[in-house]
Amino acid sequence: MCPYEGLPYAELRAGHDRIYFGRWRKMDAGPTEIVRAYHRIGKHLSAIGRVLEGMDLPAARRDHLKAVEVYRMGDPREDSQEALRFMDHALSYAHRVIDDLLHEKGLPPHAPMDFAGWYDAVEVPFREEW
Amino acid sequence: MLPLDRYPKEITLRDGACVTFRPMVKEDVDLLWNFLQRIPMEEKMYFREGVDRREDVERWARDLDYDTVLPILAVFEGRVVGDATLHRNRSGWKQRVGTVRILIAPEFRHKGLGTAMIRELRHLGEKASLHYLLVEVTEEQQAAIRAFETLGFERMVVFRNYVNDQKGKLHNLVVLLYPMSLADEEVFY
Repeated sequence: MCPYEGLPYAELRAGHDRIYFGRWRKMDAGPTEIVRAYHRIGKHLSAIGRVLEGMDLPAARRDHLKAVEVYRMGDPREDSQEALRFMDHALSYAHRVIDDLLHEKGLPPHAPMDFAGWYDAVEVPFREEW
Repeated sequence: MLPLDRYPKEITLRDGACVTFRPMVKEDVDLLWNFLQRIPMEEKMYFREGVDRREDVERWARDLDYDTVLPILAVFEGRVVGDATLHRNRSGWKQRVGTVRILIAPEFRHKGLGTAMIRELRHLGEKASLHYLLVEVTEEQQAAIRAFETLGFERMVVFRNYVNDQKGKLHNLVVLLYPMSLADEEVFY
């Protein structure tokens, strides 16, 4: 059974986690995997943009704009030494937008580690909440 | 005038606890006073001003003016467990700068309540057409600093030995800013 089934913004959360736990973040990731991840991030940001349309969430819209901005700076097909960092930042901003959407519904933030068991997860740093 | 029709707002925390966000009203003196009494003494040393006098809390309630100070309370089972305030200037050169302050009850820390309250103030700041949100914290408040940075606040400056606690000891003050002046443009792929 899909672990996201029935959850609010299931598509966005699953989309985020597929990228978040993807092979591109492993040390031995090849160029093809990185380019594929880059395209997935682009589609993910587009999906978020569609959800945000018509919603009165200026902070979330601002984060989405930032995500797109750093996404465009991180095209791995160009000679960017920092493509991975920009891709990571774009995904981080995307996560923040998802959390804004959940907050508007009165729900706690999305925690990818809750779903890590469904992925061949790479190690990610622990994030403390306040 | 900020639209406050989003309140009361129910927020579920990571541990399943459901708290209600709502603006403080004049009748909240007892609730707020009881909340402040539960803050450990060593943390009160970091406050901008003393909170040990009930008259001060009564004055805050009596003088409530949401256009200058908007206090949002987090209420759980009839008691206040968090207080987030957005301070604004009606005029002058800082009228587009909002200052935020957040206080969380000890038993409600590390559950995401502080982060949720920052999100709320960020939303209110955007709706108030502010250009920046500013927060000042002592460097010892690392969990709070991380939470603000996670939500987009940027560490601008650290003033060394800048503020003193109520025992006279000096502390570093960290100033963080959240910029809100990006153009609201449409983005297409």
